[in-house]
Amino acid sequence: MNTKTLIYIFKRILLAILTVWVVITVTFFVMRAVPGGPFMGEKAISEAAQAALEAKYGLDKPLMEQYTTYLKDVVFHLDFGPSLKQRGREVMDIIIDGMRTSAKLGLIAAAIALVTGIVLGAVAALRRNRLIDKIIMVITTAFVSMPSFIMGSLLLILFAIKLMVLPANGSTAAGLVLPIITLSLSPMAYITRLTRSSMLDVLGQEYIRAARAKGVSPIRIIFGHALKNSLIPVITYFGPMLAYIVTGSLVVEQIFAVPGIGRAFVNSITGRDYPMIMGTTIVLAVLIVVMNLVSDILYKVVDPRINLE
Amino acid sequence: MKKLLAFLLAAVMLLGLVSCGSASKSNFTGSSLAVCLASEPDTIDPALNSAVDGATLLCHFFSGLAKWSQNAKGDLEIVPDCAVSLPEGVVNADGTVTYTYTLKDGLKWSDGQPLTAGDFAFAWNRAASASTGADYGYMFEVVDGYNEEADNTLNVKATDDKTLVVTLANTVAYWNELLAFPTYFPVRADVVANESWATEAATYVCNGPYTISAWDHNSLITATKNENYHDAASITMPEIKFYLSDDANNMLTNFKNGDWQLIDDVPTNEIASLKSQYKNEFVVAGQIGTYYVCWNVNEDILPASCTLTGAEAEAARAEIREAVGLLYDRNYICEAIAQGGQVPASSFVAMGMTNPDGTQFYKTAGGNKDFDGYYDVSTKAVESNYAKAVEVLKKYYTFDEATQKFTDFPSLTYLYNTSEGHKAIGEYLQSAMAAVGINVQLENQEWATFLNTRKDGNFSIARNGWVADYNDPICFLDMWTTSSGNNDVQYGKGAHKDLAMYNLDLTSLGYSINVKGGTWAETYDVLISTIKSCTDNTVRYQLMHIAEDMLMSTGCIVPLYFYTDLYMIDSNVKGFYSNPLGYKYFMYTHK
Repeated sequence: MNTKTLIYIFKRILLAILTVWVVITVTFFVMRAVPGGPFMGEKAISEAAQAALEAKYGLDKPLMEQYTTYLKDVVFHLDFGPSLKQRGREVMDIIIDGMRTSAKLGLIAAAIALVTGIVLGAVAALRRNRLIDKIIMVITTAFVSMPSFIMGSLLLILFAIKLMVLPANGSTAAGLVLPIITLSLSPMAYITRLTRSSMLDVLGQEYIRAARAKGVSPIRIIFGHALKNSLIPVITYFGPMLAYIVTGSLVVEQIFAVPGIGRAFVNSITGRDYPMIMGTTIVLAVLIVVMNLVSDILYKVVDPRINLE
Repeated sequence: MKKLLAFLLAAVMLLGLVSCGSASKSNFTGSSLAVCLASEPDTIDPALNSAVDGATLLCHFFSGLAKWSQNAKGDLEIVPDCAVSLPEGVVNADGTVTYTYTLKDGLKWSDGQPLTAGDFAFAWNRAASASTGADYGYMFEVVDGYNEEADNTLNVKATDDKTLVVTLANTVAYWNELLAFPTYFPVRADVVANESWATEAATYVCNGPYTISAWDHNSLITATKNENYHDAASITMPEIKFYLSDDANNMLTNFKNGDWQLIDDVPTNEIASLKSQYKNEFVVAGQIGTYYVCWNVNEDILPASCTLTGAEAEAARAEIREAVGLLYDRNYICEAIAQGGQVPASSFVAMGMTNPDGTQFYKTAGGNKDFDGYYDVSTKAVESNYAKAVEVLKKYYTFDEATQKFTDFPSLTYLYNTSEGHKAIGEYLQSAMAAVGINVQLENQEWATFLNTRKDGNFSIARNGWVADYNDPICFLDMWTTSSGNNDVQYGKGAHKDLAMYNLDLTSLGYSINVKGGTWAETYDVLISTIKSCTDNTVRYQLMHIAEDMLMSTGCIVPLYFYTDLYMIDSNVKGFYSNPLGYKYFMYTHK
């Protein structure tokens, strides 16, 4: 890595920090501008109790002061504060709890999607227009276009109700099989198609023809030359995709009752659990920013011709 | 390629067909019960909880002075739990009532430490304190010394480790029921000093039939029989798994494949088929609650040409609101839209509330011989109600005979919180009013925003609902006093504050109160405080009927139906019961 690259990375990190700060600030003020509050319910609490709670959580202070206090706590102590809804629990603990499940689910799903996607894509490209290629294309078209709630429901009906081989709730290890499959199918199909088209493109390049003419073995051509170069679009897609599936797909978590971060995020917004909204937003923002950064840098590693400037 | 597509399509359709069949299976062994009530509770601290699912959990983990129990005949009753007995109170010279409770011998917390009367006194003061900020802090307002602005003021004392003396401001008919209410459960000072005590299995010290042996947040709470519970021998179910999910479809899937034995929610669009497919499992239980529509009392609905002002204008508006309420066919709402066995309502205090003689409060409301409540909501009355409504509205609005519609009724907005069910009802109300020319816009808001808008009175008509906290009509009536936080109608606020048009004559009941042409605060608020200090139960119920009469005469509260509690339970599970507040009891279940 040369100095230029290092400077580029440094700049990108600064930009990433700025992005996260903007996200924090905008979320903080927009969230507080929305009507309703964390202590409102179907049955109203007394004004004295409302005031006591606001004082306890510092919500009675001027908004700007709350904002600076919050920023300080997050930056210097990595403290997201207590949840206002799940009384007695720290936002950090809730996020870690949720992330543990979501990350496990997301990472496995992403790995499956990546490996299967690349293999199927390469096979399809090498067997272009043959039966196997067509089968792969039909299936992947179906998977890409089928929303996860339909896929999830179908799998649930088949494996949990009809065949009764897998549980319908994600509270056990076996219960994570179906959500993992549901989560991985769509990106897997997308990666297959990306790999296939990119590989076809690469296979038509002159250097491949030159290699063939030189008598390089087909295996070496595929693995040594073609595959590596056809993975660039996959890398662009994979970084952000990983961030999304790791941070939890709400729909899949809902269908399979998986205790992940996606549900916690949505519930925090409807419940006006301010610290929880901020905490999950920050975690999501950081993950997406970091994943984008990583995939940009990986570009450079895979294809030295790409100018990061 | 085409063949392949056709094959795939056929495969998907086959899968769809297969999925239409029904399956009923049970994995219930009798040694562990799996249930799903709702998602992770916000809290299972007895003082802080205000949710029904949280209350069910608390009834399994804690034991108060009294509890709900099912007798041999299958009827529910309040029986002593930690207390040896539930004695009558002693009326003091100043009208306050003192109860003295003796605790059973050998009561222990789940960690083995002795449970004392002081733990009750501490817990009650803690729950009632303003600084705790509990939703249900007001449940202690019947106790002498209660002050919602301050801390630790209740007149409750532990005279020794086994004796608890509590003084109430006056006789309270539902006192024993309150003793079985989760907010009245004991907690120990050193346990709750840790603010996170009720969030992990390890720190959750309780005194009821079960303890938490494992808690996987947002997923599962495992309850294991508490051997330190004073009546542990009677508990028949060794373990209960409370699965935490709020997705009705997922619940149903787990019920169908036999993994879960009770689910507390079902998908609305499945209700019709579940009713026929699962005759023994699908249960429609009563729940003390009313689904209603509320008008903003300050919304001007008179036509521009109307010259009425002040009290006369409000009297006209009340008549109009009541007439509009007659346009709705409540049977249609219950049967075609809600579909869950709901009961058409014609009064606000819900079905399930009883008079002192055991009769239903709603059946004696309104004083009509031919029907229950304030208007006839039977199917046969739909047409006459409609005609009556049109007749009343003709007094104030221009009626176009050709189109059979009113031409100058101001446009209204119906506000509801985002949900398919509420939307469907909103659309029905809209069409029912459109039939007579009343133009209604539907506006939906997300829950927290909706609560805020409704509370602030920024609406003309809004969806509303109320579920009882305890079996006494007062919890439906005291919410409408001027200063109540739940006074969504805005009684006694804004322009309504100065309208001196209400009458309250209680002289026939032995009171010297006789107000003619008083404001809401001078009449309704006075009536509610009279009810709260009334010691004669018969008179008290008469007063509560008067309060409901007054409420209904404003036309601002338009009841639609009484709620029901829908759930599904595996038919192999015996010994289960639930109470009218919706709390479910699993400790005595068996195969």
